[in-house]
Amino acid sequence: MDNQVFPNDDFILTPDTVFPEDKHIVTPEKPIIEFRGVSKTYQTGTHALKDVNIQIHPGEFVFVVGASGAGKSTFMKLIMREEKANTGDVLVNGYNLTKMPRKQIPMLRRTMGIVFQDFRLIPTMDVFDNVAFAMHVVGEKPNVIRREVAKALSQVGLGHKARSKPAELSGGEQQRVGLARALINKPKLLIADEPTGNVDPNMSYEIVEMLSRINQQGTTVLMVTHEHNLVRDFHHRVIMLEGGTIVADNAEGTI
Amino acid sequence: MKIQSVKYLTREGFRNVWVNRLMSIASIGVLVACMVLIGMALLITKNVDRTMQTLEQQNVVMVYFNDKNSVIYGENAVAPNASDATASDGGATETNDIPESAYLVHNEQEALAVCENLKKIANVTSVEFISSDEALKRAKETVLEGQAAAFEILEEENGNPMSHGAKITLQSMENFDATISAISATSGVDSVVSHGDLAKKISGIKSAINLICFWIIGILGIISLVIVSNTIRVTMYNRKLEISIMKAVGATDSFVRLPFIIEGMLLGVISALISEGLIYFCYRVAGETMSETFNTLIPFSEEALLLLGIFLAIGIFAGAVGSAFMISKYLKKEGSEFKAL
Repeated sequence: MDNQVFPNDDFILTPDTVFPEDKHIVTPEKPIIEFRGVSKTYQTGTHALKDVNIQIHPGEFVFVVGASGAGKSTFMKLIMREEKANTGDVLVNGYNLTKMPRKQIPMLRRTMGIVFQDFRLIPTMDVFDNVAFAMHVVGEKPNVIRREVAKALSQVGLGHKARSKPAELSGGEQQRVGLARALINKPKLLIADEPTGNVDPNMSYEIVEMLSRINQQGTTVLMVTHEHNLVRDFHHRVIMLEGGTIVADNAEGTI
Repeated sequence: MKIQSVKYLTREGFRNVWVNRLMSIASIGVLVACMVLIGMALLITKNVDRTMQTLEQQNVVMVYFNDKNSVIYGENAVAPNASDATASDGGATETNDIPESAYLVHNEQEALAVCENLKKIANVTSVEFISSDEALKRAKETVLEGQAAAFEILEEENGNPMSHGAKITLQSMENFDATISAISATSGVDSVVSHGDLAKKISGIKSAINLICFWIIGILGIISLVIVSNTIRVTMYNRKLEISIMKAVGATDSFVRLPFIIEGMLLGVISALISEGLIYFCYRVAGETMSETFNTLIPFSEEALLLLGIFLAIGIFAGAVGSAFMISKYLKKEGSEFKAL
């Protein structure tokens, strides 16, 4: 994306240089997400994350698991720059989120797609407009929007429901609309925050299969889940959080 | 921001007015109420001003000069002998007893000179000289037939009983007392006849109405702004989800802000048009009701454009500023968050 190239801004990481001693510069071949000694303490005094170090590389599919209060939400919020780390560096898609000014947050978010547990579809808009919405945000032309949205909806099997309102869809269908919206701008990174939390078990498998196919096409997928059977059945890397620290990082999908 | 985005957001602003129509109707209702009151206050001010102007144009003061007749018949008539009951009762004195030094205006030339001096007084618009002959002629024309005989008796006794005088038109009633004092103090002026109390009352009413209307307009203007801000705030909280999704997919603050501003402005424009129609209807009804007793109402067409302009200005300003303020405040507070709803 053109708005990622600001050579003079130190919060943007140059693509072709490696400065190992400089902690906020990495290359794109390097991790798409990297936490370096990241800690986050909220104003209430809660230590959500403690000295987290992790690397997620382009093309990976990663499950993030852990009990409630383990730090999963904070981990995801830091990646989406909804929260800022107190110490350490969070590097995502070529941006150093710790040093990034607030006005650059929209540019960061345009490099990622986000799927929510509660779907987050606008009830007054139909399926087509809900997906098109994400393209309008980046100022895409109407004819491109029409073409791409139609394509995305048929990819998630909802081409025939383009003019339906979200309330007329099942949970699984709504989540597929959310997925189409997250992918419409072709992000390098897809963040799915418990995407199967509000759908039936069969649909859960279908959604993770869909995410796996997307991952096979090159998109990095980071999925938070509580469903251990999904983690076991899909054999992707698993990061387990507990008490704000990473207690396990298994490449083969074992918990 | 790209032109496609501006077009899209403008459409969204219009769509939002319809989609959130209950909230829109509530905002329009309150805005219309404020605008109609503002419009009424303006029209009342305008009409009072016009009525005052009409009254001021008729604001005439009569001045009588200090000539021989004023000494004989005027308010300050000289009584040669205090014990003379006739003289003190009627205020009349034998003509031959009055020495020329007892009065200042001896002929028409001197009276005209006094008129020239009167014209120099500030707030005096015109001075019309009325000679004693003209005054007598006018008096005879205006009094009843039986009373005209009284003038003839006086004429037979001492000649023309009327004094030279002048009809003075004042520019405004605001400095009425000072002007009357200046006229009275002019050499050659014997007495001034005016409706000072009425002038003061009219001037007072005008000032009071103007002040009341100014405050009504000011307060209602602020109320309109607060109402639009509040409505937009409620709308915003109702649409937290929409805003959170906008932020999640990478919308900039201005992208989030623009549809709300357009929506606010559109509500303002709709309210302005409805208010104009309502005011027209009310004014017409008021005009018909009062036409028999009060026929100087300004035609609505004269003020229609001004009113519409004011309504549009209030509506668009309140809509744009109110929504821009509220959305900026909201974005500042919750702008980067989109997960926690």
